[in-house]
Amino acid sequence: MSIKNKLNRLKSHMVHGVQAAIPAENSKAETEALRELPFQEIWEKEGVKPYYVDESFCLVREKEYSLDDMHGHYAFSAIKRAVEAWNETDLKHPLSSKGNTPQDLFFFDTETTGLGGGAGNTIFLLGYASITDSKVKLKQHILPNPGGEIPLYKSFLESVDYTTMVTYNGKAFDWPQVKTRHTLIREHLPKLPPFGHFDLYHASRRMWKHKLERTKLSIVEKEVLGIERQGDIPGFLAPMIYFDFVETRNPEGMLGILKHNEIDILSLISLYTHLSFQLLGLDANQTSREVYETGRWYAALGESEAAKHSFTHLSHGDHTDAIKAKHALAFEYKKQKNWDEAIPLWKSVAKQGEEKLRLEASIELAKAYEHRQKDLNQALAYTMTAEETVTDPLLLESIHKRRARLLKKIDSQVKKPTIS
Amino acid sequence: MKVRKNLQEMITEIKKSERFKENVVHWHTIEEKEAKTADMPRNLHPALKEALQTRGISQLYTHQKSAFEHASSGESIVAVTPTASGKTLCYNLPVLQTIVNDHNARALYMFPTKALAQDQKAELNEIIEESGLDINSYTYDGDTPANIRQKVRRAGHVVMTNPDMLHSAILPHHTKWVSLFENLKYVVIDELHIYRGVFGSHVANVIRRLRRICRFYGSDPIFICTSATIANPLELAEKLTEKKMSLIDNNGAPSGRKHFVFYNPPIVNKPLNIRRSATLEVRSLALEMLQNKIQTIVFAKSRVRVEILLTYLQELVKHKLGPKAIRGYRGGYLPTERRAIEKGLRSGEIYGVVSTNALELGVDIGQLQVCMMTGYPGTISSSWQQAGRAGRRHSESLVIMVASSSPLDQYIIQHPDYFFNKNPETARINPDNLIILIDHMKCAAYELPFTAGEPFGTFATEEILEYLTEERVLHQNGPKYYWMNDAFPAHNISLRSASQENVVIIDQSDVANVKVIGEMDRFSAMTLLHDEAIYLHQGIQYQVELLDWEEKKAFVREVAVDYYTDANLAVELKVLEQDRSKHGMLGEVGFGDVSVTAMATIFKKIKFETHENIGSGPITLPEEELHTSSAWLSLNEDQLKFNQERIEQGLIGTAHALKHIVPLFVMCDPSDVHVIPQVKAVHNERPTIFFYDKYPGGVGLSEKVYEGIDRIMQEAKTMINRCQCENGCPSCIGTDTTSGFAKRDVLKILAGLNKGEQHVY
Repeated sequence: MSIKNKLNRLKSHMVHGVQAAIPAENSKAETEALRELPFQEIWEKEGVKPYYVDESFCLVREKEYSLDDMHGHYAFSAIKRAVEAWNETDLKHPLSSKGNTPQDLFFFDTETTGLGGGAGNTIFLLGYASITDSKVKLKQHILPNPGGEIPLYKSFLESVDYTTMVTYNGKAFDWPQVKTRHTLIREHLPKLPPFGHFDLYHASRRMWKHKLERTKLSIVEKEVLGIERQGDIPGFLAPMIYFDFVETRNPEGMLGILKHNEIDILSLISLYTHLSFQLLGLDANQTSREVYETGRWYAALGESEAAKHSFTHLSHGDHTDAIKAKHALAFEYKKQKNWDEAIPLWKSVAKQGEEKLRLEASIELAKAYEHRQKDLNQALAYTMTAEETVTDPLLLESIHKRRARLLKKIDSQVKKPTIS
Repeated sequence: MKVRKNLQEMITEIKKSERFKENVVHWHTIEEKEAKTADMPRNLHPALKEALQTRGISQLYTHQKSAFEHASSGESIVAVTPTASGKTLCYNLPVLQTIVNDHNARALYMFPTKALAQDQKAELNEIIEESGLDINSYTYDGDTPANIRQKVRRAGHVVMTNPDMLHSAILPHHTKWVSLFENLKYVVIDELHIYRGVFGSHVANVIRRLRRICRFYGSDPIFICTSATIANPLELAEKLTEKKMSLIDNNGAPSGRKHFVFYNPPIVNKPLNIRRSATLEVRSLALEMLQNKIQTIVFAKSRVRVEILLTYLQELVKHKLGPKAIRGYRGGYLPTERRAIEKGLRSGEIYGVVSTNALELGVDIGQLQVCMMTGYPGTISSSWQQAGRAGRRHSESLVIMVASSSPLDQYIIQHPDYFFNKNPETARINPDNLIILIDHMKCAAYELPFTAGEPFGTFATEEILEYLTEERVLHQNGPKYYWMNDAFPAHNISLRSASQENVVIIDQSDVANVKVIGEMDRFSAMTLLHDEAIYLHQGIQYQVELLDWEEKKAFVREVAVDYYTDANLAVELKVLEQDRSKHGMLGEVGFGDVSVTAMATIFKKIKFETHENIGSGPITLPEEELHTSSAWLSLNEDQLKFNQERIEQGLIGTAHALKHIVPLFVMCDPSDVHVIPQVKAVHNERPTIFFYDKYPGGVGLSEKVYEGIDRIMQEAKTMINRCQCENGCPSCIGTDTTSGFAKRDVLKILAGLNKGEQHVY
């Protein structure tokens, strides 16, 4: 039996996964037409030009915006203020662009044919924006068919003359995927240069996890940056639209993806601006929760002064965020063994905080009184307060131990004649 | 108080005592074998030489030396190594030597299971440590923590993994393994004989992908394979790797004295020739051993048997040894469970293990003194593997094979010569099975685009590439074929199970703590996990409350009942296309493609101990359809002059006998080839017996049947002739026949073998 017949017979035992809807055309004729670019007028209108290497090509789209244009709450020009502000401070932070100019950055995003890493997940769109004195320049490198990867990466690598990329989850996804695809054709290409990398995904999670159910870029830009998209193509449709484009070569669907990618990239500019303003205290409208998260981030980085600054700023008053800030601030003072500052803060938390904070504060006070202030009675009092609120059995056990130890110490102090 | 007996005394007792001696039909003693050694290779690195010295190794066994010499000269090899013959040095020495001389060199070890890889890593690392060399070896499997994966990829000189991991995690991500693939000098395939049938056919294709990627990065590794004794290790290794191989079979390892006892349970029903059940017999023998604290491993063929034996034995020794002293071990257990059992065996807290052949693989579990087989394991090579479990460390050991009433068992137990003198079985794979091949070509295309004219291994790909392009899985662009799909193909392809979707078994006994306790392939689930089935897991009985066929979930609840269930499968069969045909002695023999539809019909409830039928119920599951390859034999009806009824009974009886003979000739599990009789086959309206591969598309088993049909029929005839029963029994033609002359009729059907001359082939 011929292989073809067998294949048809065995079809029911095979599953191939998602496919585009249109039946295949005879692809032989396409081979000769590979160099050609149908629908040229449409492409030209969109500012798209082919880029050739030998027999194959990719498409490059260029677009410019004025720095004064608004994207959500911010004008693009605000990025200059953000970079300037980083240059004015000595704070160490993973998003700090100290030592850079705005022109050093490029805001980068890709579109791929599948989810997750893996050698067969093809990048079909590499897009980025950069800042000049007066403009935002957007550039997108498009893969017109899978044979065009060499021109795609070549044109991309020729034009990315920057030091640092700004992405959304690019550390885990986009950049490793670029490396993967580059590896497959590396003998035809220059090496990938090393870049600095600001990944805004983790920053966004830190700052807004508390109020957003998911921290996808499209949600962050809508809820935080005030950006509205119209007629946007959801990202999950991109692979299907692309497969269709490869078959039909009709740019219609692709133009939607280009627009989607374009907004993603522009949003990165506003997002970097906004995050920088948050971190540097330049956002007048910052919520107290955002101030608190900023402080926590600095605390985690060991930037104690900046953390204290944020917390102190919040700690006046007795609303929930203020109590939380006091608690966090107390921990910063504890790190510096500044008990005189820490103890009153915790005292106030132990009085007014929610249950969990009250418990933590009482335990901290008990520790401080027992080991630092050597005031055993105070320590015992706070141990008892802690005992009242605790529910975790492990913690309860340690509290009981502490109480027993304190009672023993107190007891022996009473018995021992004091030497004066 | 009774004094405990040692193994010596137990051996004497079995030989002498009235209770046992009658049932011993054959006693085979394999004498001790002296070691054959050779000097260390002269060019072996001093550090390695020293490391071996400290482990007390100053000379190599002959096969280890040959392996080193061949591999060092750049030849791929397959070494045949019985259990406990020091096979690991066959590959560790050449690999370490190469890495010492070239620090960039890399090696990839492939073991069939995670447990084996863990075991081997420990052993290799000991040598490395003793040599003081700076060599990194890591396992890379599902348990490898994310934070060290990067280190393994970049800096692992030796990476130990399994075919599944290679298939779904390493090859599709090959760009993250550049330093491995660029410098890959050796690929080690341990337990080669495991890679047969469907699994082997899959793995052969994984190796095609591996070698394709190696070529891309400019490497062409040497393959070192080790195999248990099978008839065709060289052929299997060459077919699996598509590389020229040298065979190393000069085993120089010593072995201890081994007693191999063939034990046939007594006949309890003369006219029906029914013997006492092997399970019950093994139970009393095993009990005897365990009560004397002699470490014993009991093998049973099916999961159900394992669980039944386990329940019996645990109950009996609960007070003497404690409930945890005897454990079950089988494929369906979750890894943590299995790991704990392996550890208990090694430390000696566990005295007995009841296992399916999952433990056949070379996981080192230390000293077991006695091995018992509940029935013939199905193949000679598998029997030797199981027998190797006893007395691994060169001490005296006892192996008892207890025959069941099945025709195959009775054949083997009455033909000890056959067992001890015949070549073990041939392992067959069919890497070009279209379903398997296409699955892996998809993975391969995902990994690297295909170029027109590029073969996949030895397979010409043109038609497949066109087909996949038409199916819009690939996209042709000039001479290249690119992956053009959003799926990650390896995730949908399992190397191990025939049907790609498994049924998950969910225990809902504790409503607050519902948990997954195992999984099972779809075809088995039809007869083992239907509604109301009793499913046994670690000796605990569960009843299936609901089998959700759509979602492939079986919900079970713990119960305590005194019966188990056994289900019937009704099968329909159509010939789609005949590829080959010939005249055999009994009639026309054909080979080609068939369509099989199977439906589970009813189940029976069978009481423990008495094994009586105490009830039944219907099974309502949809039909499953299978396209596969098949061989068939259409009888010359006119010579028989039987009426319809007698033909039917005769065919049922013949098929029953054949079902048990076929696995002897085609190295396979009895369930891998099905034998189905039809009074009037749809395609030629003649009485026909079909033999078909269980796996869609076939893996070459029925083709072997086609080639050897006359010999197979001859053996079936001998077997039935020798059976002492009057009118058919489970040991020959089965008891499904209802007519009084079934046995005579079967013999009449087979009588044609004597008269018939061989026609043109």
